[in-house]
Amino acid sequence: MAISVLSEVEFGEDLPAFKPDTSLETGAKFAKLVGWDGPRFTDHEAAKEEGLAGAMIPGILSQGYLIAMIHNWAPPAEIIKVDTVFRAAVMADDSHTITGVVTDIDEENATVEIDLTVTNEKGETRVFGTANVRLPK
Amino acid sequence: MDANIEEIRGKYLNLDFDEKQFYVDPAVTTEYARLCGETAERFLDEYHEDFQAPPTYVASLSGSRMLPADFPRFGIGMDAGKGIECLQPVRPGTNITGKTHLHDIYTKTGRSGRMIFVVTRIEFYDEEGNHLANSDSRMVMRERS
Repeated sequence: MAISVLSEVEFGEDLPAFKPDTSLETGAKFAKLVGWDGPRFTDHEAAKEEGLAGAMIPGILSQGYLIAMIHNWAPPAEIIKVDTVFRAAVMADDSHTITGVVTDIDEENATVEIDLTVTNEKGETRVFGTANVRLPK
Repeated sequence: MDANIEEIRGKYLNLDFDEKQFYVDPAVTTEYARLCGETAERFLDEYHEDFQAPPTYVASLSGSRMLPADFPRFGIGMDAGKGIECLQPVRPGTNITGKTHLHDIYTKTGRSGRMIFVVTRIEFYDEEGNHLANSDSRMVMRERS
């Protein structure tokens, strides 16, 4: 059930796991959209020629996935702040899962803190971050 | 090089060194939202009463330079992370201004030596001068020995 108000949020609750579209096609479209269409985001073979393991998903797309996950969980959530650490590359065409957990609730200011993690199929953390969001009371 | 970080902080922090205008194209912001997997209509439907750019859209807007022209070169910079702070919605179809400064400079020392972290912040303003958002890029450089 989607969250619509703060009182529906429980401390320590897990957000529904989110499977982002980390296909090369989507990563390449995004990279071209924002003017970052270098081969490392658009072509596996060309990325390997740059010494990489393959094409990667742009870091800011990973950040966008985190926010989309929050809006899937709570559509009216207003993002106040998000801080993201790119620990390792999110490889295009590999399957990834985003998990999130509510780590703080500030009832006075109607805000919630959420820790977010992007992991690959091996369970390796690729990106993690913290978001602060505001919800209707 | 054993850079005096306090001296560098004093010389460079909180001084604007770049300013750039951006047009917030609705076609771009809606596609940006769609590719991120957004489902909230206010980011996807340009006829929505609260139509706005997705919160992380500003992270895709780069200034003309990441560092002041005379900033010391410690080594090759790597992307260590990004942060966004949303103060007011960014409205598609408008022009915004990004003003860039160094927000923080700090060090961490590990087994491989000292790492220097530089946080470059772009503050975004609308045409009326309202502060809309901040976009932070954290760069890490390994100090040359």
